Amino acid sequence: MKILVCLKQVPHQDARLDIDAAGTWIKEDNIKFEINSYDTYALEEALRIKDAGEAEVVVTSIGPDRVTQALRTALGMGADRAVHVKDAEIDGSDALGVAKVLAAVAKEESPDLVLMGLMSDDSNASAVGPMIAELMGVPNASSVMKVELADGKVTCERELEGGALEVVELQTPCVLAVQSGLNQVRYASLKGIMAAKKKPIDVKGAGDIGLSGQVGAGAAKTTIDKIYPPPKGEGAELIEGSTGEVVEKLVGKIKELGLL
Amino acid sequence: MGSILIVAEVQNGSIREASYELASFAQKLGREVHSLVIGSGVAGEAEAFAKKGGGTVHLVDAEAAANYNVDVYAAAIKAAVAATSPDAVLISNTPTGWDVAPRIAAAQDCGFVSDAFDVAEEGGSLVFKRRVFNGKLDAQITASGPVVATMQPGGTAPFEGTTDGSVSALEADLSGAKSAFVEVKVAEAKGVDLSKAEIIVSGGRGVGEPEKFPEVIQPLADALGGAMGASRPVVDAGWLPHEYQVGSSGQIVTPKLYIAAGISGAIQHLVGMKGSNFVIAINKDPDAPIFEVADVGVVADLFEVVPALTEAVSAAKG
Ligand SMILES: Cc1cc2nc3c(=O)[nH]c(=O)nc-3n(C[C@H](O)[C@H](O)[C@H](O)COP(=O)(O)OP(=O)(O)OC[C@H]3O[C@@H](n4cnc5c(N)ncnc54)[C@H](O)[C@@H]3O)c2cc1C
Repeated sequence: MKILVCLKQVPHQDARLDIDAAGTWIKEDNIKFEINSYDTYALEEALRIKDAGEAEVVVTSIGPDRVTQALRTALGMGADRAVHVKDAEIDGSDALGVAKVLAAVAKEESPDLVLMGLMSDDSNASAVGPMIAELMGVPNASSVMKVELADGKVTCERELEGGALEVVELQTPCVLAVQSGLNQVRYASLKGIMAAKKKPIDVKGAGDIGLSGQVGAGAAKTTIDKIYPPPKGEGAELIEGSTGEVVEKLVGKIKELGLL
Repeated sequence: MGSILIVAEVQNGSIREASYELASFAQKLGREVHSLVIGSGVAGEAEAFAKKGGGTVHLVDAEAAANYNVDVYAAAIKAAVAATSPDAVLISNTPTGWDVAPRIAAAQDCGFVSDAFDVAEEGGSLVFKRRVFNGKLDAQITASGPVVATMQPGGTAPFEGTTDGSVSALEADLSGAKSAFVEVKVAEAKGVDLSKAEIIVSGGRGVGEPEKFPEVIQPLADALGGAMGASRPVVDAGWLPHEYQVGSSGQIVTPKLYIAAGISGAIQHLVGMKGSNFVIAINKDPDAPIFEVADVGVVADLFEVVPALTEAVSAAKG
């Protein structure tokens, strides 16, 4: 059993979001990065499958040098090796460009399972999982809350609205985009981090995976014109002052509502 | 200008409201409108959709489509795309939409935009607006050519007018699925039913530690005679069971008073509580989106405000 986990390194959830000079993304210098939260659940699930039997867990990520940190963390948690796709040519790719790169990596690795998070915490697009599946010609399931393997088949529970779950059975290979809360994600142990130093990170460019000239800003079919703070509506009436004053006013409001 | 293809979604035998919202978007763009209705025994629904904004409806009515299956839906949508060559395919951003829509964009090698709350035409291109960074920023995206887009439910009002439409059967090869629907498990009723609570005090990721829920959030809920709720990350982390979760994948609540402490206000949370009569938000980030839906906001550390408020409420009750 071989599992490929796709990880995205994203700005830390509590990072300051300042818009860059071009107005099309945030300033990425001087902020902390982390593995996309949804992807950590995918990695954990792969590691649990490995712990329960025989599996090789390969992690892959696209991005500049800083991405090495995310891959090292994943190796420290227990992944066996990493593929880092690093190429300025890929910069500015849209979701489909990213999916093409990941599908090319998957083609080289030919895993039984491809796992990733349902979406990324930065662009929130929920796009690449099903796209990779289409490019590979395999089935997919997203919002996955449970994974069971038996007899070459994968049985998943997909989260629907309001807490309902849909049970679906997929042939392997398949692509699963997992939902947060699927499991409790482990931390890398000190021993794991030490062991990770000896694990290989294979660095590849677009040409190495046969995609030179096919991805990147030039090939993108959608472009971000601008990003901006959401327009403010009327908004809340802000209550200011010392904690004592604030609390007094809040109690006043609750009394007005007839709830005190 | 090319046409728009709407993929309508059948849920429990009828076309869901979100599909009528897609009809609103499509009609607003003033293009020729086609729709795909997939399901089993849904001819009547297709007729209704054709008369209410759906335009020329292509119907795939088959036993194989009785339940959602990604392979079957992808095959039907591809057949509809081949038959109509649309400039844009619109699908609702629902568990069905986000499972299948990106596949269609990959198959067509065209643009993809997800979870957009608005679309307009500018200089012949479609321009979308959507949230990024979990609601903290907005983005405007232009598709340079054909595009598949998932649209946020609630992004616009459902289409209300009457239109001339027609329904015809669409041939689609639905065989060869590599996945199969097994069953849907509906959510079981749990101990905490927040949908009936008059007052709810919810804590989010900003509460920081599991112990702080019994220590800080629950006491305010108790003092007010209300119930405690939470955002999803709190439940994901195992700090509280799922029955406390408010939002699109938790409970939809409509209390008289909803207090959100350490909750940023992501759309999936707002969906669950925006029907509250009065909302107080406590968050240390003045730009948190929760302040847009709150009636009263306090920009402060919840660990200062909440315990003090608990004390003041208890004192007021005497
Ligand atoms: C398909 C899907 C379904 C989902 N369903 C749900 C759902 O049902 N319910 C739900 O809630 N989410 C849901 N989500 C997740 C949602 O997108 C957000 O990730 C989540 O709501 C964020 O929770 P939060 O506001 O607690 O955390 P964050 O967004 O991390 O916000 C934490 C907030 O706490 C503030 N804060 C930190 N410390 C303090 C302090 N000391 N004092 C005051 N403020 C502080 C911060 O400023 C920040 O605004 C869903 C997501 C998906 C993709």
